[in-house]
Amino acid sequence: MSDTLWGLPAPQIDADLGEAAVTMRLDPTLYPLEVIYAAAYPFIARCWVVLDRDDAGRVSVVLTAKQAATAEQLRALVGEFANELLSSACRREITRQNRALIESVTTQAFGGAMGPPSLEELEAFDFTDEPFDDPLGIAQSWEDKYRKKPRDEGEGEGAP
Amino acid sequence: MTEPATPLQTHGYPAFFRHRELGERVVVTSLEGEWIVLERDEFRAFVGGTVDRGSALHQRLVARNLVREQFDVRRAAQTLQRRKRFLHAGPNLHLVVVTLRCNETCVYCHASRADLDAVHTDMTPQTAEKVVDLILRTTSPHVTIEFQGGEPLVNFPVVRHIVEYALQRNRGLGKQLEFTMVSNLALMDEAKLAWLLEHRVQICTSIDGPPDLHDRQRKLPQASAHAAAVPWIRRINQAYAEAGLDPTLYHVEALLTTTRETLQRWREVVDHYVELGCRALFLRPVDPFGFAERTRRVVEYPRSEYLAYYRQAVDYMIELNRGGVEILERYAAIFLTKILRGDDPNFLDIRSPGGAGIGQLAYDHDGSIYSSDEGRMLGAMGDRTFLLGNVATAGYRDIVGHPTIRAMAIASNLDGQPDCVSCPYLPYCGTQPEHNHKTLGTMMGRMRESSMCAVHKGIQDYLFDKLGTADRETLDVLERWTTIRPREHFLQPPSG
Repeated sequence: MSDTLWGLPAPQIDADLGEAAVTMRLDPTLYPLEVIYAAAYPFIARCWVVLDRDDAGRVSVVLTAKQAATAEQLRALVGEFANELLSSACRREITRQNRALIESVTTQAFGGAMGPPSLEELEAFDFTDEPFDDPLGIAQSWEDKYRKKPRDEGEGEGAP
Repeated sequence: MTEPATPLQTHGYPAFFRHRELGERVVVTSLEGEWIVLERDEFRAFVGGTVDRGSALHQRLVARNLVREQFDVRRAAQTLQRRKRFLHAGPNLHLVVVTLRCNETCVYCHASRADLDAVHTDMTPQTAEKVVDLILRTTSPHVTIEFQGGEPLVNFPVVRHIVEYALQRNRGLGKQLEFTMVSNLALMDEAKLAWLLEHRVQICTSIDGPPDLHDRQRKLPQASAHAAAVPWIRRINQAYAEAGLDPTLYHVEALLTTTRETLQRWREVVDHYVELGCRALFLRPVDPFGFAERTRRVVEYPRSEYLAYYRQAVDYMIELNRGGVEILERYAAIFLTKILRGDDPNFLDIRSPGGAGIGQLAYDHDGSIYSSDEGRMLGAMGDRTFLLGNVATAGYRDIVGHPTIRAMAIASNLDGQPDCVSCPYLPYCGTQPEHNHKTLGTMMGRMRESSMCAVHKGIQDYLFDKLGTADRETLDVLERWTTIRPREHFLQPPSG
């Protein structure tokens, strides 16, 4: 059964008052999937959350209230989700733009707060992990990375 | 040959700025927190780059480092560095809940209290020692241990043990150590007071206003909570004076919680604080933590009503100051220190990133460690989002570098917050992830819907309005409120 919620656009949003559920269909070119995930996640305490994709490629978000909800409460739920969606989208873009600043502040904050590890912590540290992946050779020394290869490897030493 | 006419003088183009309209004026702030309040036509000239180079306005803008062609990079960098200097040290504030037991019942109780027979909510000496061991691992050279409850005087032996053990353990560490106790004072006696004075423990209390208001909000069985506290405030202040300490600096600090009933009684509250000898009043709105959630319908109010109350109360406080009475409002002092001095007083809830975990930690009676006292209160309400571990098992770096703390540092960095990034108050402001989590469902929050943002923004609107329009005498009062006088008596001697 499909009900409409006053003031909300029916093509994108419909409700099932009997099941205390609302369905929102979102254009993925407006809201990237990670933004939809971020916006939906905070609702899991109050709702059962289902994400799906319809035939038109739109992402559908179904929020089913865990406790009985009136039409007004469902409308508020949709409004809150819509605001969280916009907030997540803006936050994603702002974080991208300010990434260097945020990383710098966070690194300084944790470097300052945590300080160096103690001897006991170093002793307990697991050094058996595989060395990190370095496909660009950033950890190599300049000499290792750019040294001339011997003649028999195909590049003649002293070649013009 | 004549020079071609220049349609637009471009020498005044602005450096990076944010702005906000305040009535007929516009507040402009820079990336590093320089500021100016402009008339609307001045603002248009500033933005359009048409300010005359020789004009007074141009000089004012240059003085505030807001003109691009004369932008002083070194000055901006130094200002930013000063504002963020709190980043380089770990938690300096450590709140220790020595018991949940409390002799009073408050309508808004933030602390999630227990009855006096709930002795199982007392911290044990063994747990207390582990708490101190962890506290002294902080990278901060300054450490404040704040005793909270419940009512800390209910478990006074553990308060004493923590002080003595911390002093002993600090001998080889040399940290600058301070102790503070937040108490309702009803269980104070001369022996306890003598010990606290001898050990330089700063004493703070809660006063919600005149007796009838205080007693309606803070209930002491078969007695007046106000009558139980006030004689001790006077007695402690007298003891400080007898010890030769400057009474303008050394006196009992009192905390106010603003409930709906307080809103209409701002003048009485201010007068009462002055009468008690207090020099500071923190007009804090009620928090959404603890019992306040259950009693919200009785004590809560719209933030617009709070802001009207704030403006009236602070106007009155300014008027008193102009008449020679010294009383400051704490919120105003925090923001004004940032605005007028370019400094950060490191108030942990109003900084970016916030102080959770990297500026403060809270220790519950059972050794549980939380991001802050607010995080602990949520834990007491059954939401353990901000629980980081227990002193019995956790290492310092595990706690401070905990994934929750990392998430909170990023969530409370205003440079990643929609709305904040375009708000001129960003250099002076802060958000609290615990508050966002509780009121808006995410640590990030949504500032347009945040009651904390509404309060911070409203207070800064008020202050910038004053800075833009007030007379010299009022500006002098506001300037005085930014003077930080350290209470060196409460610093423990290096030898302990």
